[in-house]
Amino acid sequence: MVRLVVLWCPSLTREGPRGEEPRRFAEILDAAIDLAPFARPVRLGVLAIPSKGPSRFFGGEQVFAEQLAGIAGPLVGGSGRVLVGAAEGLFAASLAARASVFVPEGATPTFLSPWSIATLRDPDLAAACQRLGLHTLGRFAALEEARVLERFGTEALRRHRVARGLDGELPGLRDTVALRRLDAVRHRDEPRAVQGGFFGERGAQDLRAAAAAQRLERQLGIGAVTVARLSGGRAPDDRADLVPWGTAAVATTHRDHAAPWPGRLPAPSPAAIPSRALAVSLLAEDGARVTVSSRGLLSAPPARLELDAGRPRAVAAHCGPWPMSERWWGSARRRAHLQVLLDDGLALLVRAERSRWWLAGVYD
Amino acid sequence: MFASSPSRTAAAADLAARIRPVASASARLLPVTEPLVTLLPDGALRRGTTVVVAGAPGRGATSLGLALLTAASAAGHWCAAVGLDDPGVVAMAELGVDLRRVVFVPRPRGAWAVATAELFEGVDVVLARPPARVAHAAARRLAARARDRGVVLLALVEHRDDWPIPADTTLELTTASWHADGRLVERRTEVRTVGRGTSGRPRLSSLLLPGPLGAVASAG
Repeated sequence: MVRLVVLWCPSLTREGPRGEEPRRFAEILDAAIDLAPFARPVRLGVLAIPSKGPSRFFGGEQVFAEQLAGIAGPLVGGSGRVLVGAAEGLFAASLAARASVFVPEGATPTFLSPWSIATLRDPDLAAACQRLGLHTLGRFAALEEARVLERFGTEALRRHRVARGLDGELPGLRDTVALRRLDAVRHRDEPRAVQGGFFGERGAQDLRAAAAAQRLERQLGIGAVTVARLSGGRAPDDRADLVPWGTAAVATTHRDHAAPWPGRLPAPSPAAIPSRALAVSLLAEDGARVTVSSRGLLSAPPARLELDAGRPRAVAAHCGPWPMSERWWGSARRRAHLQVLLDDGLALLVRAERSRWWLAGVYD
Repeated sequence: MFASSPSRTAAAADLAARIRPVASASARLLPVTEPLVTLLPDGALRRGTTVVVAGAPGRGATSLGLALLTAASAAGHWCAAVGLDDPGVVAMAELGVDLRRVVFVPRPRGAWAVATAELFEGVDVVLARPPARVAHAAARRLAARARDRGVVLLALVEHRDDWPIPADTTLELTTASWHADGRLVERRTEVRTVGRGTSGRPRLSSLLLPGPLGAVASAG
C-alpha cells in the first residue's frame, strides 16, 4: 500500500452560501501540485500526495509536510486551519491528517485500532457492530475474515480489510462529484476555443453546461430546464417551442423552419409569448366587439383593449390583420393576428380564433 | 522532481508570462453585438459583474436583456435565461441569439435564486428575471457568487430599485416609441447607462430595439 501525505482543510470541506470554497481549494491544489506534481484531490478540502518522492526531495516527510502546510495556510483564508498527516493507504492517511499524526511505517493497523467503527462510512454495518459491542476498528478488525463474510457479506469484507490496514480505498472516500466541480473551477479561466457543434461534438464547456442543467433538473423536476427549438410555421407561437433538456437531439424530423411559409408574420417578433391562453377583449369606439370577417377584414377599428378582464386601455394604432387559414383539408384552423399599439407605448400581438381574441405576444 | 528544478520553473514562468496577458484579458470579457458596445463601460460584458436591465413593460427590457446574449452565444459561450416564463424564441433568433447555446429555466417557482446560483456553475451569462423585488441578502449573495465564478449576471427588473444593491452597471430604458407602417417596424428606445465605469455620469444612447428585421441597431 502506498504511503500518503494528506492535507486537510476543515473550513473548505463544505460549500458555503458564498460558494468560494471550491475556488480556494483549487488554489491550494494548484500550489500543492507546484510543490509535488502527484498531488491529487480526494474530496473538497482534502488532497493526498504519495509520500515517497517529495520526502526524499525535501529531506524527510515532516519537512515536506511543513512546506505543504506553509503554502496552504495563507490560501485557506479566514480563520481556517490546515492539518497534515501521513500513513499507509488513503483511509488511514485521512484519519492521520484529522489527528495531525505522522504514523510510523508499519504502525498503520495499530493507529487505526482505536478509531470508531463509524469511520468506515457504512451506517448499517456500524449499527450492527455497535449492537455486538464492536465499537472500534480494532475490535472489528480482530474478527475472522470468514465470520465477517458469513455475518455481513462481501461489501463488509472490503471494509474489514480497510479496518485491518490492508486496503486504503473505501467507497465514498473520494467524492467524484466534488472533484468534477473542482476541475471545472480550476479550468474556468483558461482561454477556450470556440465550440463548433452542439450535440455530437461536445467541448468541455458544453459538458459543464450539461452538468449544471442536470443538477438543476434533479432539484426542480423533469421539464424545468428546457432548450429552444425552431420549427416551421407562420405565427410566433408555432415557430418555436421549448422542449425539455436532452430531447432536442431528436428535433431533426420537425417541420423545417427555413422553408418558406407564406403568410408568416413579419419581423420583428414579440419578445414574450404567453405560454397559456389569455383572453383579450377588443372593442370598437361604440363599445361593440371587434370581429374578423371570413374575408379577413376587421368589423371596425379597435379603440379599447381589455387584458384578462382588467381595466380598458386605449388603442393608439393597429396593424393587420394577417388572416391565416391552415389545414383546410383536415382539422381546419382559422385565425387572424393583429398588432395593437396601446397609448402608453405597449405593443401587443393579439389573435382572433374561435370567435374570441387571445393574447399572442408582448413586444417587450 | 523536475517541477521544482530551477531551470524548468524559470522556463515555465517565462512561457506563462508570454501567454497569460493576451489570454486572460480576452477571457475576462464577453463580446456584445456592435450596437450595444457603447452602452457598456468596457464595451463588453465583464465576467464577474452584475448588470441590471431595468424597464417598465413595453419599453423593451426583455429585448435588451436578450440582445445582450447575442454575441456571447454566437462566440460559443453558454447562456441561461431564468424566470422568463414566456421567452419569445423567434424574437431571440431574429435578434441573433445562438439558440443552441441557451438553456431556459422558464418557471423556477420559488427557487429562482437557487436556480441562478446553480447555473453559475455551468454557463457564462445568466439572464434572470426575479419574480418581485429582490431581497437584499439574496442579491448580495448572487452578486458575490457571480464575481467568484466569473459569470455575468444580467438582472431583468421593472424598476432599477428592484435590484436592492448597487450593480456594476445599470441599463435603464427610459423611453420607447414604435414606428408603424402597415406593421410594427421598429422601436426607438433611450437607454441610460449608470455604473462604476461611467464615473457617476449617466450615459445616454438611442437604440432601435428591435430594428426593422428584428435585430438591434443603433439609432444615430
